[in-house]
Amino acid sequence: MIAVRILIDVLVVIGLYFALAGTLGILKMPDTMCRMQASTCIPTLGVLCVAIGGILYAACFLHSADNAVKIAVVALMILFTNPIGSHVIAKGAYKADRRGEKKIRLNPDDYGRDFNE
Amino acid sequence: MQKTRLSAVLATFILCMVVWVLITWSFTVQELAAGVLVSIATALFSSRFFVHGDSYRFFNPAKIFSLLGYSVTFFVELVKANLDMAKRVYGGCKAVNPGIVKVPTEMKSDYGLALLSDSITLTPGTITMDVAEEDGKNFLYVHWIDVTAESGEQAGEAIKGALEKGTRRVFD
Repeated sequence: MIAVRILIDVLVVIGLYFALAGTLGILKMPDTMCRMQASTCIPTLGVLCVAIGGILYAACFLHSADNAVKIAVVALMILFTNPIGSHVIAKGAYKADRRGEKKIRLNPDDYGRDFNE
Repeated sequence: MQKTRLSAVLATFILCMVVWVLITWSFTVQELAAGVLVSIATALFSSRFFVHGDSYRFFNPAKIFSLLGYSVTFFVELVKANLDMAKRVYGGCKAVNPGIVKVPTEMKSDYGLALLSDSITLTPGTITMDVAEEDGKNFLYVHWIDVTAESGEQAGEAIKGALEKGTRRVFD
């Protein structure tokens, strides 16, 4: 039992490590797109590790299959919905930037070349 | 827009019912009856947006196993990309070299393209911005935080080499 407990704590700490990486990335990166790239760490490994820890805790200590399944569903929902939102935000940020200040620096910009933004 | 088909409604209904049971996790008659009603209503309205092509694709065990195998590949790629991004953030002034590259892809079906571009967006370091079709071939526009490749083919190999093989096994 103590081994499971240690495993849960390790998983939560790993999740927090990646969530902190994402948060620091939002503060440190130079422009909008790179900030979005760094923030993708939070919903992937950050949430996944904490969710796996939560599932183990619910299954082994609370003995409720109910809560374990709910956490799994929440994690899956985040994985399915997050990329759709972030792809649309990226496209919108790019177009808004090209129409206005042109702060985003891109080395090869195939999208701008093909669509003449 | 497609017409509503019975097979599509049935497939959507089964998915809705499974999600309902997983979320409520109670097996009394009232709860299940409410779930059946809500699922039928949802399936009638949304099946024509939700199902294109073969409705019973995922009633085939081989497809489900290939999806499970793909999730393992995807998890490995996810861990690699996360470690790289964490190194970039914690490691002081490691240079970022962002750019948008145009990547050719072999995927044909809508579902395959959606799964592949969602997987690319979920790995830190790459975001799919758009899908375009030229001369019957599909291209993805991917924002990449560290452009190291010269051509689109090399970039595609670096971004989605392992992912594309798995997605082609699930769809197409």
